[in-house]
Amino acid sequence: MYRALLIALGILTGFTGCAKSPAGMKVVKIALVCPLTGDVAAMGQGMKRAAEIAVEEGNAAGRFQDIKLELAAFDDRADPKEAVNVANQIISDRQIAGVVGHLNSGCSIPASQIYSKRGLLMITSASTNPKLTLQGLKNVFRICTTDDVQGSFAANYFIDKLKITRAAVIHDKTSYGQGLAEEFKKQFEIRQGKITGFDGINIGDKDFRALLTSIKNKKPSLIYYGGMYTECGLISKQAKELGLPVPVVSGDGVFTPEFIKIGGNATEGDYASMIGIPPEKLPKAKAFIERYKAKYPGVDMQPYDTYTYEATSLIMEAIEKTGKDPAQIVDYVSRAKFSGILGETTFDAKGDTLNKTISIYRVKNGKFIYCE
Amino acid sequence: MFIEQVINGLTLGSIYALFALGYTMVYGILRMINFAHSEIFMVGAYIGFWVLSSLPVFLPGFLPAYFLAVFILAMLGAGLLAVVVERIAYKPLRHASRLAPLISAIGVSIFLQNLIMLTAGASSRPYPEKLPLEQFNFFGAQVSSLQIFIFGLAVLLMFILTLFISRTRLGKAMRATAENHIVAQLMGINVNTVISLTFIIGGGLGGIAGVLNGLYYGSVKYNMGFLPGIKAFTAAVLGGIGNLKGAMAGGFILGIVEAFAAGYISSENKDIFAFVILILVLLFKPAGLFGEEVPEKI
Repeated sequence: MYRALLIALGILTGFTGCAKSPAGMKVVKIALVCPLTGDVAAMGQGMKRAAEIAVEEGNAAGRFQDIKLELAAFDDRADPKEAVNVANQIISDRQIAGVVGHLNSGCSIPASQIYSKRGLLMITSASTNPKLTLQGLKNVFRICTTDDVQGSFAANYFIDKLKITRAAVIHDKTSYGQGLAEEFKKQFEIRQGKITGFDGINIGDKDFRALLTSIKNKKPSLIYYGGMYTECGLISKQAKELGLPVPVVSGDGVFTPEFIKIGGNATEGDYASMIGIPPEKLPKAKAFIERYKAKYPGVDMQPYDTYTYEATSLIMEAIEKTGKDPAQIVDYVSRAKFSGILGETTFDAKGDTLNKTISIYRVKNGKFIYCE
Repeated sequence: MFIEQVINGLTLGSIYALFALGYTMVYGILRMINFAHSEIFMVGAYIGFWVLSSLPVFLPGFLPAYFLAVFILAMLGAGLLAVVVERIAYKPLRHASRLAPLISAIGVSIFLQNLIMLTAGASSRPYPEKLPLEQFNFFGAQVSSLQIFIFGLAVLLMFILTLFISRTRLGKAMRATAENHIVAQLMGINVNTVISLTFIIGGGLGGIAGVLNGLYYGSVKYNMGFLPGIKAFTAAVLGGIGNLKGAMAGGFILGIVEAFAAGYISSENKDIFAFVILILVLLFKPAGLFGEEVPEKI
């Protein structure tokens, strides 16, 4: 009787073992952390799709002899408290060799301190607040351009190209939103522009009419918003309803089709700056975009998809070259000269990419069109 | 700018006032705070969203009839849901301690939020823009057709409600039940019917407030009821909870205070002003602004 049971058990475990990974293969996980639910979930879901494609390709190419790569996606709900919880969960899982994320700077900054406790590699593909890499953490890298570059680029663009001299600034009080808004304001004032107001709002607010009415009275010719797309879409919509038909300008947090869906027709003529150059203009990104479209038909690509793909690929290369030891992986990435779909990526001493470019897009006929 | 802020405040206040009526009516009849009311508001907004996105406008001329259908469906749906909630979660607890239905209401609120989150998704969805938007100039201030529509509909509904409560037999039965359940029952009033009716009307008005909120802000989300719910409850307390006119006035006062605070003082701290007013009123007039002046509560 016992024997029969043991055999049955053996067969069962044998089967499940087979289904998961061939005998002798070690599972190594790459963690992806971003908001998968909540107000900015659309961007996070895009990051997840991109990371899935990268991991799938890595496994299929047979680059890792005795390793099976897995993607472990975690949801931080764009909430710094939740980000810290998730980060603690991640460092307790020894199979995780590196982290891609988070999306929001407000989440990345506290979470990065947790990862550094274990010396776990973290590459953010989306957090643009400069403070993240100013903490002196050796394990933290960033492959996107920072807000000091982005905010001042926008200020210069509107002063030089559109001769705009009066701007009202609104931000959402987060590390990302306020940081970006402050960089814009600083450069705009250096260039002799007039900032008519600098106001904070709360994430989750729906009514900005009272604020916009008082902004309208100060006659700005542009509204700069630092924050994410949900609030920005409402601001754009309500501004135009109140008879303030000036363009709303924001940064990478707004560069998504969701912004146009929320703001509706009011977003026509609005601008968003975005890190990097459009993926269509990157010769090496072509294959990735085609695979993405084939795997997820009918789904809009989100702004950080190429960055997330790149970050995941970089971690995979580090695992391939060094194994799964966290210290070696961090060391490899810090010296890496990675040639991927975004071009050549190398990091400075702080951990920021040296590949810094910014583009400006404008909404036309319900789509973001590349301007410069 | 002053007139524009008043208009912003009145529109916001219209939504708060309609929403607050549900809190105050239930309190008047049952002496309980129906914390699930904010979810009735949210479900109403979702019903409007589903109807608007599935039902196309056939002809431009049918627009008024189309919107009438949207509002009637949202009102019926939200009202029926409110009655079902009452039957399942409050009625069995009618003779329990006062805390029991309160906690049950919080439970219902959490349940409904999660139900909508799981069925309709966790992210906010854009509300279909089917109402033509036009701007009018009103003494140098911009008013949109939507703002006029919201204010007009709210005032009309409040007027009908006031007439209903003061002039009809059912309204009289409601007032009697609010005064004393037992005596009302002895006089031949079916108290259960009256309570159901209260939930239908309160829930229906909450549902309409939800649709207006969706139209005005252009989005719906599963937790959209929470903050407006607290504001509407504040409005009800501000005017004197249990008092219909108090809830209406409280809603408008709160809306205007919020608009002025955001416009003239600080947009990030606008919620603080609304609650400071509440604390001040409660300190100096604990029964609310209109609480003591009306002997008959409903």
